[in-house]
Amino acid sequence: MRPEVLIDEAASRVEGKFLHRGSRKFARWVVASSLMSDVLTTDEEDILLLSNLNTAQVVRTADMISANAAMVACGKPVPQDTLDLAREPDITLVCAEYPIFETCFHLAPLFNTAKK
Amino acid sequence: MLKLHGDETPSTIKEVILRLKVKDATKKHIFTARKTDSLRHIQNLMRDNGISAVPILEDDVLVGMISVNDIISALDKGYTDDPAEKHMTKSLIILEDEMPLSYAIPFFDKYSYRRFPVVDKDRRLAGILSSRDILLALLHELNNEILELEKMINTEPADQMDRIKREFIVTKFDFENAGRASYELKKTLKDINAPRQAVRKAAVAAYELEINIAIHSDGGVMAFEIDDKKIVITARDKGPGIEDIALALQPGYSTASDWIRSMGFGAGMGLANTKKVSDDFAIESNPKTGSFIQSTIYLHTAEEQAAEGE
Repeated sequence: MRPEVLIDEAASRVEGKFLHRGSRKFARWVVASSLMSDVLTTDEEDILLLSNLNTAQVVRTADMISANAAMVACGKPVPQDTLDLAREPDITLVCAEYPIFETCFHLAPLFNTAKK
Repeated sequence: MLKLHGDETPSTIKEVILRLKVKDATKKHIFTARKTDSLRHIQNLMRDNGISAVPILEDDVLVGMISVNDIISALDKGYTDDPAEKHMTKSLIILEDEMPLSYAIPFFDKYSYRRFPVVDKDRRLAGILSSRDILLALLHELNNEILELEKMINTEPADQMDRIKREFIVTKFDFENAGRASYELKKTLKDINAPRQAVRKAAVAAYELEINIAIHSDGGVMAFEIDDKKIVITARDKGPGIEDIALALQPGYSTASDWIRSMGFGAGMGLANTKKVSDDFAIESNPKTGSFIQSTIYLHTAEEQAAEGE
């Protein structure tokens, strides 16, 4: 199993702001996609879902795949309904300042190092 | 106190109204200004954020309000460069966040204001309450209450408690609530300590089917049936039916429009993925009666069941 990467550390690499802190503090995989249809096909566990979307369905999707956290890229403001939805299933929600490509660039070494 | 329709008001509605507090309806993310800020600054704040009143603070303490009427007067009389403190309303009617909401509702009749500032027990500004906020809070609470009532109606009688049956209505293009049924299924499965892998597969199958109803159909129903061996998820819709089922099951085939795709769906993976995570999968479709899709997920794998039988 891949080692744990603290979501706190991942967030700090991308100037991430915590909108909700859930009880699960780490992730082992990053799934970066703005197509929720694709996200739903993943089999991994302990996922950090990274997306350009800030809609309620990002949190719903994260919940359905039992992701530990969802991260919204581009510093997009997150609507209140999305935030409220994250609280119910206790999913950590982070807003990253960087666009999705740069966010992947900054997160990759962290998760790659963890893989070794 | 809020006047209800005597004994004719259903007790559920009375309960909902009476149990809500001011803080449950208060809008908490608001824009404020300092008393030294100019009226022009506040006018820009209102224009940029589509708001019609701004609380004025001094060291985080509420000292007044500037409304859009104050700004109109300032524009009319040419004093938009004046500081807020010179023209703000200082004698404010304030609500406390712990007050029952039913206590606050008559304020809208009693005073001419359309919104009231809300403070917490330390007298710090906690937000603003408007009649729209009250309506939204009531609708939200009533929605939750009806969901709870639906749960009670759909739960089997005590002698059949080992089998759980639930049904949820899914509305066309209602992306705000699409996923609610799947969330409830997942919650139920976690409550009965269903195996983690089965929970995830069932959640994904249910969510794919639920989103499909919202995107592609004229609306329908999601039904779940759980017993000690399996989870049966059934999606029925009112049409218009799937033209070519074999094609619809192909990964990547989609008839979704661009705006559906812009919301992250419609990539043509839904049915294929539902089939992938299901242990049994059935699909029927007819242009007249709509589509029927059933996904069955066993709580334990065949190996686990065999081991249990030994």
